[in-house]
This record gives sequence, C-alpha cells and structure tokens, in this order.
Amino acid sequence: MSFVIPIGPQHPALKEPISLRMTVEGEVITGVDIRLGYNHRGVEKVAEDKNWTQNIYLAERICGICSHSHATCFVQGVERLMELAPPKRGLYIRYLVSELERVHSHLLWLGVAGHEAGFDSFFMYTWRDREIVMDLLEMITGNRVHYAINTIGGVRRDLDEGQKAKVLEGVATLRKRSEYYFRLGATEPSFVARIAGVGMLSKEQALSLCATGPVAKASGVARDVRKEDPYAVYDELDFKVCTADTCDVLGRVVVRVNELLESYNMIEQMIKGLPDGDIACKAPRKAKPGEVVSRYEAPRGENIHYIKANGTDKPERLKVRAPTLGNYPATVEMLRNGFIADIPLIFAAIDPCICCAERTVTLIGARNGEESVVRMSDLRRQALARPRNAGVKRNAVWPL
Amino acid sequence: MSDTDIVESLKRDLGAKALELTNPAVRRIFLKVATADLVPAVTLLRDKYDCAFLSTITGLDTGEAFEFLYHFASPVTTIHVRTTVPRSDPRFPSICGVIPGAVLYERELQEMFGVVVEGIPDGRRLNLPDDWPDGQYPMRKDWKHVRPQEVIPGGES
Repeated sequence: MSFVIPIGPQHPALKEPISLRMTVEGEVITGVDIRLGYNHRGVEKVAEDKNWTQNIYLAERICGICSHSHATCFVQGVERLMELAPPKRGLYIRYLVSELERVHSHLLWLGVAGHEAGFDSFFMYTWRDREIVMDLLEMITGNRVHYAINTIGGVRRDLDEGQKAKVLEGVATLRKRSEYYFRLGATEPSFVARIAGVGMLSKEQALSLCATGPVAKASGVARDVRKEDPYAVYDELDFKVCTADTCDVLGRVVVRVNELLESYNMIEQMIKGLPDGDIACKAPRKAKPGEVVSRYEAPRGENIHYIKANGTDKPERLKVRAPTLGNYPATVEMLRNGFIADIPLIFAAIDPCICCAERTVTLIGARNGEESVVRMSDLRRQALARPRNAGVKRNAVWPL
Repeated sequence: MSDTDIVESLKRDLGAKALELTNPAVRRIFLKVATADLVPAVTLLRDKYDCAFLSTITGLDTGEAFEFLYHFASPVTTIHVRTTVPRSDPRFPSICGVIPGAVLYERELQEMFGVVVEGIPDGRRLNLPDDWPDGQYPMRKDWKHVRPQEVIPGGES
C-alpha cells in the first residue's frame, strides 16, 4: 500500500519553491519526484537584453543568501572577456566579502540544522553570532544581503584601518564562540544520534549524480573549485578542503563546521595581507566576441556561469547553474528509504530556507484518493518524536 | 598532468573524431565532436580523464543550428565538449547512460530549445508550467516575451 505525499510548491525550499511528490509505504519513502519552475524568473533570457553593468545587479538577485557568489562569478567571467586585470587590493576585498558570506551562510545553516534536530539553543547561539558577521558585511559594503560591492574591474568600496581592525576583532570573537558551541554540539549525544545515519549518500552515488559542495564533501569527495581551479586570490591563500566520510547529515554538519574555521583563517590572511593600491580599474563598455566559463565555490557548491559575448555591450548568452540544481538528483537518493519524519532534517541538510516557514503537506490516500492536510509543524513534531521510536544510530561519535 | 598533455592525449585517443580542440585559457579545454560521437567521447572522458563530474549543459541558438556545450570538470582541468545539431532536425543522444546526473540538464534543454534528446530516461518538463503552450521554446533567439495586456476588473477608476 503506497501513498503519494506532495510537498510544496509554496515554501521557499532550495532557493526556489519546488514541489516534491513522495511515494511512501508506511513511514518509509520509496520514491521521490521533483517538479521545479514555480518561481522561474527567466533570468537567462532577461540578461540578453541588459548591458554588462546592469547584469551584475541582475546576477546578484538570483539568490538571496549567496548573492555575492553569483555577482562575483559573473564579474570574473566578464573581466576575462574584456581582458582586464583588476588590481590586487580590489580582488582581496572582493574575496574577503566572499568568505564573510560563506561564514554567514554556514552559520545560518547550522542553526537551522540544530532547530530541525530539536536542539534549539544551538540554533539561537549560531543565529546570534551570525549577526556579528552580518554587521561586518554591512560595515564593509553598506548592505546586509545584496552587497553590491562588485563592479567590472574591481570593487566599489575601500577598506580603512579601523574597518580592518573591526573585521579581525569580529572574526576572533566568532572563532572563540564557534569552537565553544561545536564542543557543546559534540558533547550532546542526543543531537549527534539524531543526525547520524540520516540521509545517506554513498561516495559512488555522489560521484555519478554529480553532487557538489558540502553534500559531495560529506561523502568523501574532495571537490572544491577554490583548490582544483583556483581563481583570483585563492592560490595565494593557505587552506585545506574539508571532507567527511560518514555520508550522512552528521557529515554535512562536520564539513560546514570545518569550512567555517577555514574561512576564519582565510579572512585573517586576507586582512593581514591586504595589498596597497587601487580598488578598481576602468572597464570598457563593450566586450570583444568570445566565450568564457567562470567557476566559483559558493557556500553550497560549485557555481558556474557560461558567458558568450558578440561584440556589443550586451551578452549573447548567459548560462547560470546554481549549486542547488546540481544537488537535486542527489537529494532524491538521500530521501529514498528514509522516514517521513526525516524529511525536514534531510532538506535542511541541503539548504536552510526550507525550514523558514510554516508549510502544509497534503496526504493523498493512494487507494481512495482522499486528501488530508498536515501542517509542517505537525511533521516537525513527528521529527522530534522520532528518536524515541528507536531506529537511530546509537553511540555515534562527533568526529571533530 | 598539464593542459598541453591532456590536449595531446585527447588528440591521440580521439583522432579524427575531435573536430576541434582548443585550449584558450588555463584549465579550459574546448573539444568539438559530431553528435554521433558524443556518447563514446563522454565515456572516454569519464573513464580515462576522470571527468565524471558534469557541471551543466549550455544550449546556444546560433541561428541555423543549435550548439550544446557539456561542461565537465576533473580535479586538474575542465573539458567543455561542444556538439552542433541542425535546427531542421534537432536530435541528439542522451548521455544519462554514462552520466546519470545529466538528466535535469537534458530535460531543461528539451523544453527551452525544443530539441529531442533521444533515450532520455525522463522526458517531462522541468521548469515550464504544465499549461505552457506547445511549440513555444523560450531560449530560442526568435522567441520574444510579450507581456499580456493587463486587465483591470471593472475598468480604470
């Protein structure tokens, strides 16, 4: 006896509202079908009618959490098309904002993961600390979400000594607090038991389904654009690619925690090694005909833009692939053979937005077609009750 | 393995199948193959060059033909496989048998360009709504969005 549960589309899951139809037998999910496009805005088509500068701001609005990654990916591609060499200081400031954005995105995600696992103090602590990095971003760029610091040929705002000191101070506080909270997480056995063994994705599956970002890294695939294809300043920075081999939600938490600590290191290196000089160079209005592939490691994985120019001030074609799209086939595999009560947690392991809002889930009886509506809060209550019904991995260890 | 080594090695392995092989920038190798050679070329890249990771597939409308770029990445370089199909008969084989993660990108190409991917395991629409009219392919260059006339119920006050 199998049922189909449609989830969505009206919830801000995975950047866009998406619809997932889960086939379940009892509590176990046997099949997942994804339907996209409820919030398709046709950005690629619109980009063909805008000029290079307008497109920076259009690209920035593709995502509301990693807005800087799309704008940077686009700008570094256009700079290569125009054969520009942005000054070093501008590049350092641009990628400093990148790493600060990664910190804010991962802290946000960690809080949501804690919330979904029923560890709400973890959520409140990480979100309180996220304010520190949001304030730093506001101080550097003037904005909290759409930073608008990129321009073709560099950045739009400079850093002064006072701001540099404030960033270092903020990062030192964040590092101290992060380390403390992560020890707290490690010594909370119910939290570790709740997330261990949930949402399994083997290394072979991660490779064949082209998973990217922390999802792939948690399955033991050390794939990071900053290391494999170092762009701009990343070949001058000292960092390592964080991986885990547990292939579950615990692994994804551990990868993001380690990436946070690596990002703090990178921010300090960039602030201390900030070169003198200009922050931007002058860009031409038009680009010569040509094509370029620009890759960028966003907080959620590889972001790729393909840009083709035709000699005018507008692109001939802009193709954008955001990391979440690459992770959908892997998501389907993670949900398969999982429990209904694990859906919020497995979703949360990919993108935090899913859990922001109260949503409704409709249960359709496969035999009689009868529908009953379940609120997401009820689903979450089931999720919290799940460890009591056993079946979770006991004696799991936090590998930090 | 540097880019030049990979280009030389690809030249040896593919022979006449490689219609064009360029290396315009560091870690960017562009390879052009005929549509019939696409699946064997992708299999070779996956097995010999560690290019199992498909970033995405870009579709381009060049007027009389459609061009598709398969963006592959290996730990040392990226290889971009280009193939062209005529607009009059836009058919090309699916690579899902070799790279299972390609299915979403191929579904997107089908609905956005009106091409036929032969042997795709799941050929439904991905992004466009269910009531989207047939024969409308938004990413073709000759397709223009016309904003429907706004109707205010009861007329303007």
